[in-house]
Amino acid sequence: MISRLLEQAARRAESADATLKSDETVTLLFESGRLKSSSWSQERGVNLRVRSNGRLGVAGSTAASTEGLVEAALASAAIGEEVDLILPAPAPLPIVRTHSPAAAAASVDDLAALGQGLVERLAQDGCQVNVTVERSAGSVRVANSRGVEATYDVTAVSLAAEITRVHGDNILMVGDYYAAADLPGEPLVAALAASIRRRVGWAERVAPPPRGQLPVLFTPAGSTALFLPLRQACLGKAVLQGVSPLGGRVGARAFDPRLTLTDDPWVPGASGSRAIDDEGVPTRRVPLVQHGIIDGFIYDLETAARAGVPATGHARRSTFGKPQASYSNLMVSAGEQGWKELLASMPDGLLVDDLIGVGQGNVIGGAFSHPVALAYRVIGGEIVGRVKDAAVAGNSYELLGRIAGLGRDVEWRGSLALPPILLEGVSVTPR
Amino acid sequence: MKNRLRDALKSSRADFTELRLERSITSAVSVRGRRLEGATVSTDEGGFVRCLNRGYGWGMASFTSLDDLPAMVARAHELSLAVRLEAPIRLADVPVCEADVLLPLGDDVRGIPLDVKKRHLESLNALMLGRDRRIVDTQASYRDEIVEYWYANSGGTLISELRPEVTLSAVAVAREQGTIERALESLGRRSGWDAVQDREDQFLAAADRAVALLTAPRVRGGTYPVVLDPKLAGVFVHEAFGHLSEADFVYENPQARDMMVLGRRFGGPDLTIGDDGSAAALRGTLPFDDEGTPTRNTVLVQNGVLVGRLHSRETAARMGEAATGNARALSFRHPPIVRMTNTYIANGRGSRDDLLRDIKLGIYACDAQGGQTYLEDFSFTAGHGYMIRDGQLAELVKDVVIAGNLFQSLDRIDRIAGDFQWNELGGGCGKGGQAPLPVTEGAPHVRISEALVGGGAA
Repeated sequence: MISRLLEQAARRAESADATLKSDETVTLLFESGRLKSSSWSQERGVNLRVRSNGRLGVAGSTAASTEGLVEAALASAAIGEEVDLILPAPAPLPIVRTHSPAAAAASVDDLAALGQGLVERLAQDGCQVNVTVERSAGSVRVANSRGVEATYDVTAVSLAAEITRVHGDNILMVGDYYAAADLPGEPLVAALAASIRRRVGWAERVAPPPRGQLPVLFTPAGSTALFLPLRQACLGKAVLQGVSPLGGRVGARAFDPRLTLTDDPWVPGASGSRAIDDEGVPTRRVPLVQHGIIDGFIYDLETAARAGVPATGHARRSTFGKPQASYSNLMVSAGEQGWKELLASMPDGLLVDDLIGVGQGNVIGGAFSHPVALAYRVIGGEIVGRVKDAAVAGNSYELLGRIAGLGRDVEWRGSLALPPILLEGVSVTPR
Repeated sequence: MKNRLRDALKSSRADFTELRLERSITSAVSVRGRRLEGATVSTDEGGFVRCLNRGYGWGMASFTSLDDLPAMVARAHELSLAVRLEAPIRLADVPVCEADVLLPLGDDVRGIPLDVKKRHLESLNALMLGRDRRIVDTQASYRDEIVEYWYANSGGTLISELRPEVTLSAVAVAREQGTIERALESLGRRSGWDAVQDREDQFLAAADRAVALLTAPRVRGGTYPVVLDPKLAGVFVHEAFGHLSEADFVYENPQARDMMVLGRRFGGPDLTIGDDGSAAALRGTLPFDDEGTPTRNTVLVQNGVLVGRLHSRETAARMGEAATGNARALSFRHPPIVRMTNTYIANGRGSRDDLLRDIKLGIYACDAQGGQTYLEDFSFTAGHGYMIRDGQLAELVKDVVIAGNLFQSLDRIDRIAGDFQWNELGGGCGKGGQAPLPVTEGAPHVRISEALVGGGAA
C-alpha cells in the first residue's frame, strides 16, 4: 500500500518518503489493588513527505484509504520551505532486536497475571496500590522513492506501579516502571516491587531539610533535571539555530572526565532501539560526550542538510507533522562506586529521587530550581528519613563539570540508562 | 452517523455501553527563526467504546477505522467480562440528553486558506525577529481544529457537537555571549480566526522580555511575600488546589477522603475557588463532558470552606455526590477521566497596588511557564518577576520558581484583588498520559504572605 502511495507521489513530485505505523495495544488498570478496566486500542497512521519544486510538504492520515494524501502533501509543499533534501539510498542495516514473540502472544489473562503479581508484592496496609500493564504489538514500514523499503515488527511492554499513602495531611507517592520489548521476568518484577518498597520504607520517618551548598546524590529517577539541558543542547537543531550552549564546542572539554553520554539505538529489546530511522537512514551509535569532551549531536535529514553534516539516523515521525530528530536510547556510562560507597561519602546531604516541575522554564540554559517530590536526608552515610519542604537548585553544566561520584549500577528509565550520580555544591533551601 | 450509533448500541449485549466518535480537521503552521517548519492540514478520525456489566469492570476499545464500530462494541463487552469485580461499579444518574450543539465558531477557520494562516504567523514572527539584534531564534506556531463529535450511551443520551479550538504561541530566544534567555506568550480559545487577530503586542512583548531577561539577575532564593499576577494565580489554583479536588484521587482511598472531607477549612473567608465548564468560549468550555453529563459551575471552596469536588459519574456514585460534568478524554484514543475545565479564584477587592503597598521586600511573579503538582506539594514557574521594595515594583528578576505546599499556601493567601481575568493560555493540562488537555484558569491578583522562591544561592 505504501509503495503504491510512493509511486503516485513520485509521479507528481521530485521525491517522496513515507512511514506506515500500526499497532494494537492492550492496557490493564489495577486501581486500589484490583483489576478495574481492560482496554484494547488499534491505531494505524501513514505519514507522507514530498519534495516538489524544491519545496517540502507533509501530510498524515489515520483513515483506511490514502486517497487525497498526495494532494494534501503537495498543497503543503506549495507553500513549504525550499530544502536541498537528498533521501537516502538503500543501505545494509544493522541487526537490532525490537520484537518479542512471547510479548506479542501474551493473552489478556497473561498480562492480568503479571499485574496481579506486582499488586500482591506491593500490598501494604494503609497504602493504595495502582498498577498499569500495557502491551503493544505492531509494525513499522519505512520507504522512499529511491528504493528504500524496510519493515520491522515492534513490541512494547510496560509495567508501572504507584503506591500512595496518606497520613493526616501528609501524602507520599512512590512509583516506578519497567519498559522494554520483552515481558519482564519474575526477577525484574521482584526488583521493581523491591525498589518501590525500599523507598516507601525510607520515608517512614520525616527528617528536617538541610540548608546550604551540599552534596546531593541523584538516583537515576531523580536526575532528569540534570540531563534535560544536555538532551536539548545536543539536538542538531538547537546547534543550527544558535541556541545550544554546546554548539561550536565539539572537541572541547565541557564536563567532568567521568561523564560519557552515548545515544545507542542497538541495545537489544530496549524501548528506543531500531535498525532504521523513520527517514530510511540506518541507525548508528552516536557519542555525544566522551570523557567530558563534546563529541557530536543528533540530526534528521532536513536539519543535517541545512547544517551541512551527515544525518545520524535519529528521525522520528508520527502520523501528523514532519520528521524530527529524537534520541533512541540515551546512555550515561557507569562509574566505579557502589551504592553504599556513594552514600558513605556524604557526611550531610540529600538523596534526590524525584523533583517537581522538571522541564519548565529556560531548560537549555542549564539553570534549574525545583521543590523535591521525593528526597531523603543522608547523615554520616545513612538515610535518616524523608525530606519534605525543600528545593534544590543549580546549573547542570556547572554541576556536571565536577562529579563527586558515579555509581557502577546502571538503571533503565524507559529509553534512558544511567547510574546514580553524586554532585557537590548543589543549593538546598528549606521552605 | 446517528443511525450508526443507534445500531451499534442496539447490537451491544453489555449492561451499559457508551460510544464516542470524532472526526477532526486540523491546520497547523509552525515557524522557527526565519524559516517555515511546516504548514499542513490533516484529518484524524476514530472512535471509543466503553462497556460495563454488573459484577464486572470496564471494557474499552479505541480504533481509527469507523467501519470497525460493531466489532469494537463486541470486543469492549468481552473485555469487560474479563474483569471480575466484587464491589460493583455504579454510575451516578445524569439527565438523559438529546442535543445537537454547535459551539460558536467565530470566523470559521475552515474558510481561511492555509496560505493566509501561514502569512499571518510569519508576519507575527517577523515582529519578534526584527525587534532586537539579540533575538537569535524564535518559534511561532498556529493551530486550529474543528472536531465533529458524537456521543451516545445506552441510557438514551445522544449528542452531536462541533467543537472549535484555536491556539497561537510565540517563543523568543535572546542570546548575548554565553547567556541564553527565552520568553513565551500563548493564546488559546474555543473560537475562530477572529481570536488570533491583533496579537502583535503579544509577540513584541515576548521579544522584549527575552532581551530584558539577558541582563536581569536571578532571583535570590528564599522565602518572601509574593504577589501573583492573574495568569500565574490561575496556574497556582490549578496546581495547588484543582488537582486535589479531582475525586478520582480520593474516592478509593479512605485516608484521602478524610483529608478532603467537605466542610474542611481551606484558606481564609475571602477565598472562593471553582471550576466552570460552562463559561463562554474558553478552552475548557464544553456543553457536555465525555460521559454526556452537562457541564456546570462547581464551587469547590466557598469563603474558605471545602464545599465540592470534581466528579465523573463513577466517582460521584461511589461518594454519594452529584456528577459535575468533569469526565474528559483527550480524544477518542483515551477513556474519560476526572479533569478540570476552567478553574478560577473568584474576585476579592482592591487593585494590584493595594496588594503591593505594605510589602517591604517581596516578589511580584508574572506569567506562567507551567506548573506541576504532586498533590500535596507543587511548583509553578513564572515567566519573569519583579522585586517589590517598600511597596513599589523594583528591578526585573529571572528564574522565579515558586514551591508550595497545598495546606500552607492556601492558608497564606492574605489578600485577593478585584481585577479577575481568565488567562486564556495556549498550553494544557497533563494527567494519566492524556496531554495537553485544553483548560483555562482565571484569577485576580493574589498575595501569598510567605512562599519559597527558588533561584540562586540563598
